[in-house]
Amino acid sequence: MLSKLLKYELKATGRIFLPLFLALLMFAGITKVIAPIGPEEWATPATISMITYIIILVGMFVMTFIMMIQRFKNNLLSDEGYLMHTLPVKPWKHIVSKLFVSMLWIVASGIIALISVLIITLEKGRLTKIIVGFADLYHQAFEQWGASIYVLSFEIILGILVSLASVILIVYASIALGHLFNQHKMLASFGAFIVLSTLSQFLFTHIHLPFGTAYFSNLHDIFSSPNDFLVTPAAMQLAIAYRIISTGILCAAYFAVTNFILGKRLNLE
Amino acid sequence: MSTIFECLDLTKKFGSKVAVSAINLKIERGQIVGLLGPNGSGKSTLIKLANELLTPTSGTILIGGKKPGIETKKIVSYLPEKTYLNDWMRVHQIIELFSDFYADFKPERAYDMLKSLNINAKDRLKTMSKGTKEKVQLILVMSREAELYLLDEPIGGVDPAARDYILQTILRNYNENATVIISTHLISDIENILDYVVFINQGQVVMTSSVDDIRNEKGKSVDGLFREVFKC
Repeated sequence: MLSKLLKYELKATGRIFLPLFLALLMFAGITKVIAPIGPEEWATPATISMITYIIILVGMFVMTFIMMIQRFKNNLLSDEGYLMHTLPVKPWKHIVSKLFVSMLWIVASGIIALISVLIITLEKGRLTKIIVGFADLYHQAFEQWGASIYVLSFEIILGILVSLASVILIVYASIALGHLFNQHKMLASFGAFIVLSTLSQFLFTHIHLPFGTAYFSNLHDIFSSPNDFLVTPAAMQLAIAYRIISTGILCAAYFAVTNFILGKRLNLE
Repeated sequence: MSTIFECLDLTKKFGSKVAVSAINLKIERGQIVGLLGPNGSGKSTLIKLANELLTPTSGTILIGGKKPGIETKKIVSYLPEKTYLNDWMRVHQIIELFSDFYADFKPERAYDMLKSLNINAKDRLKTMSKGTKEKVQLILVMSREAELYLLDEPIGGVDPAARDYILQTILRNYNENATVIISTHLISDIENILDYVVFINQGQVVMTSSVDDIRNEKGKSVDGLFREVFKC
């Protein structure tokens, strides 16, 4: 059932994002082509195309944010919820399908934006230079840190994804909490968001700090040679792993709140 | 006959407003039941509680002996009083969605009905009138072989000719073991197909009776009795 939900979620959102991606790449291409042509008569079209490109670029990221909220609120907690919640599907699958697809579009938007920037700035030989630059960076890092850069890169990617999930899930939990109110649901959602983020911040600093300090001072003893204090890959790995776990716990809490409300406190009016 | 729909002291409040007040009700399988009451009497609330779209304030509601959940959703086909279909889909895509999620959905039945109502399966819902959308929803709901159909105001927004077709559709598509609960205030239109009626007012069950009893013992039509019970 989860795969079917994912399929429909992708269909519902893809029809918005795919044309946006296409438009962005197209205008990046157009800008690239007309910008270098004769300075005088092509200046205006080039500016227009550049501005259009920037508007689409900004619009794309705004859209990922709007869709994240809209798909959850409209599809699950408004009229469409009458259908979604009468399907024989457990609420957690609805949340997971919306979460994954939202994350997918945010990551895809980032990649497409990067590609479009490359298209505009690309000159002959530039790409090779970039690749060579990356290869150099990789070799340097490898020389310094050895095979642990693989673990580190994996951790960084995982960390980004978990952080992304936590941002989306806090929004879901806020909307779900706002739904518990009989009136002013939107306002209540905003309130819930402020309370949740303050609470998370509070827990983070208060749980994080004592642990973190103890742990880092410990590290300090171990790695206290003057040059590589805290920059050893092992220390970095541990620090990031710690961050991933604590963010993961927050994700689980937001998820549990949302799931409880959708499953046990649903009130569609 | 076994019970398909049961309420035990079921109460639902919205803030301080009581929408459903300590209802006790039992409905047996294999009949068409009219859930009749004036506007705001709690009909929709009761049906939404059965679909787990609302959470009871207190009391229990049971569908085939189970509390609303995945298992009951598999056997309940629900027509809500509002349009729940998104605008961007085409009719055939929604039929695919129903086939994907409901094991008892019969697509060929849906296509047949679309054809007889002259609705093009390739049309987008966005381009349809409110009445046509309601027809599409009813077609989807009646194309399932469910054990319990919960139809909330199925004929409210459509013209009289379509009304007749819809009522025939309901009669044609339901089998002996299935139960249909129709909520409406348009009684004269549906009274001929009802076996049993539940009168509901201000969140309480005022009266339950078989239609035969109303006709034979009281010598009245359901519509006549309704007007008498709910006289303003």
